[in-house]
Amino acid sequence: MDHLTVLENKSIFIIREAYNRFKNIAMLWSVGKDSTTLLWLCRKAFFGHIPFPIIHIDTSYKFPEMYRFRDERAKEWNLDLIIGKNEEKLEEGMGPTKGSKLECCGELKTNALKQIIKKYNLRAILLGIRRDEHGIRAKERYFSPRDAQFKWDYENQPAELWDQYKSTVYEEEHFRIHPLLHFTELDIWNYVKREKLPVVKLYFSKEGKRFRSIGCVPCCSPIDSQAKDIDEIVAELKTIKTSERSGRAQDKEDAYTMQKLRALGYM
Amino acid sequence: MPLFKKTTNRDKKALIIGIDGVPYTLIQEYLGRGYLPNLKAIVGHGHAIHQMNASIPDISSVSWTTFATGVNPAEHGIYGFTALRPHTYSLTFPNSSDVKAPPLWNLLGKVGGGNTSTLAARYHKKVTKPYRSIILNIPHTYPAYPVNGILISGFVAIDLQKAIFPDSIYRYLKGIDYLIDVDAQKAHQDKEEFLRDLFSCFTTRQEAVKHFFREEPWDVFVACITETDRLHHFFFDAALEEGHTYHEAFVRFYRELDQFIGDLVTSFRKSYGEEAFLMILSDHGFTSIKSEIYVNKFLQEAGFLKLKEDGQFYEKIEEGTKTFAMDPGRIYINYRDSYPKGAIDRKEGDQIREEVKEILHSLRNPEGNPVIDRIYAREEIYRGPLLEQAPDLVCLPNDGYDLKGKLESESVFGNSVFTGMHTWHDALCISPPGVTWDGKPSIEDLADVIMQYFID
Repeated sequence: MDHLTVLENKSIFIIREAYNRFKNIAMLWSVGKDSTTLLWLCRKAFFGHIPFPIIHIDTSYKFPEMYRFRDERAKEWNLDLIIGKNEEKLEEGMGPTKGSKLECCGELKTNALKQIIKKYNLRAILLGIRRDEHGIRAKERYFSPRDAQFKWDYENQPAELWDQYKSTVYEEEHFRIHPLLHFTELDIWNYVKREKLPVVKLYFSKEGKRFRSIGCVPCCSPIDSQAKDIDEIVAELKTIKTSERSGRAQDKEDAYTMQKLRALGYM
Repeated sequence: MPLFKKTTNRDKKALIIGIDGVPYTLIQEYLGRGYLPNLKAIVGHGHAIHQMNASIPDISSVSWTTFATGVNPAEHGIYGFTALRPHTYSLTFPNSSDVKAPPLWNLLGKVGGGNTSTLAARYHKKVTKPYRSIILNIPHTYPAYPVNGILISGFVAIDLQKAIFPDSIYRYLKGIDYLIDVDAQKAHQDKEEFLRDLFSCFTTRQEAVKHFFREEPWDVFVACITETDRLHHFFFDAALEEGHTYHEAFVRFYRELDQFIGDLVTSFRKSYGEEAFLMILSDHGFTSIKSEIYVNKFLQEAGFLKLKEDGQFYEKIEEGTKTFAMDPGRIYINYRDSYPKGAIDRKEGDQIREEVKEILHSLRNPEGNPVIDRIYAREEIYRGPLLEQAPDLVCLPNDGYDLKGKLESESVFGNSVFTGMHTWHDALCISPPGVTWDGKPSIEDLADVIMQYFID
């Protein structure tokens, strides 16, 4: 078996295993390349029709291209799409220029998801995170328990040996399931190419710039790149030294720094 | 006859204790009141206690970087907690990777630096052996970088994993629930709870300091206590007023600090004798706030600054702006060749600076007293290759008037949850016997004294 098929099989095994163990399960779809790949794998796992809902957490600050892509795919693939919005905070005017970026993320992403989990009584969520994205994610498991506060106790995780996964949930807990954990950024692009998967056009170079990671408009910055198609992206990734989420990670640190400085009366 | 010939270099040890924001005058007052028996014993033991000038501006990131590198901001490149990206109005937060001069521990540790600053050049090739340092909680050392020894970054450090060198100390710090900094936001909601957190954060800090002091080999040990600064920001009004609700807690904090310093110095003396180097310093002083001054509001009212509604922070700056302020009293001229909406030609620079100085000096409090004490042009106070990045003017206020750079405010004067503000002229230095300066020392002078000790 070739490398990509091995990765694919492993992911499909985990998706089916998760569906088998949890009744109230859903998948989180950010419309980015990773979770779109996960969506594709879920379709494959269940022969075209996904038997659980797909959640899109909508901050209302996403790129227009992303909304278009979401609605087209939802129709084409006949998805049971749930759109999660923190309506209350949006009405109060929450946004990246109102309050800090950190509060904005907290309300429009984290709390919006908390509301959805509660509303649908979800016990497990499938997510498209990968080990190579960030140092801390290297410690992630395929089945990762979270408590009611969304806290991840990474020093106290069950071992995952020989494909045995812990899946008992306490009252207030839910599981995060990560079927893409073993993919790298490069694997994703090679897989997207092999499967001829559609992705949002923002990933491809336009006037010398492209997005390596997409999210909300105010918090994403493009990188300098001439890569106009997948082959060129693959070639570029083989030489690139900066991390995939560098633009976004820095934003988050800056947001914390700002919060700390403000608490002491600066700014 | 001893088996080994005693080499003096091997025995050189330095202990440097930083106490963030502790004013010289308050220490003198508390020594007088008998609150600080351990410090009193140290001072009585031949150590001199000096009033010292901080860096300009007198904030931790600038002052501690100045201490660590022994050079002024135009050499180390740090002028504040915030800066603007070149040729934009977008805000950035300089960190340790923006410091352009080597810290003294890297010069002593022989991990590079060469002659890349005036201090480094002065001691180039004079350090004969690599000295091992432990640097604990010094502000503006985040992200942690390689040192010969151990580095744990202080404020503003976000992620503990990126705040340590080497990685192997993570387990220990995590195990004691080490906190880089107390959550100051809490003080805005609940002062009692904040105070409890402050004491417990200080306890953990002491534990970490004592652990590394005892368990690790070192030649230079630099540890900083940040909690004093936090205490002062929110409770400085309680420092001297005996009837104040928080006076007892304030003094209790100082007694605990005194005990901690006493214990550390006692075991230092016991292990390394009277000849070993001891220095205690603060990075700036503190005084009570009479009023906060929103400099940008003042500039706006005077017609020097124009802001639009949308945009973040300095992105609000509109066409026609002559000048704007950044924390705490940094004034920048909106030059045409420096900013996207620049309005001032370089050749008009001197004239605008005079105009701005005049208008700022005219700022009076409601009783008619001047708010600003001194305004320096950058070339008067900074020298070095990074002078171009310096603010065009820097204001030092009279005690009690806390200059703020924030852009949204209703009026020029105001008060908030803060009761203490930094001072430039009232930092503290307790120096080893025999160390003297002509006139009042500045925080920039200290690294040289430490280097001197190790090469003599």
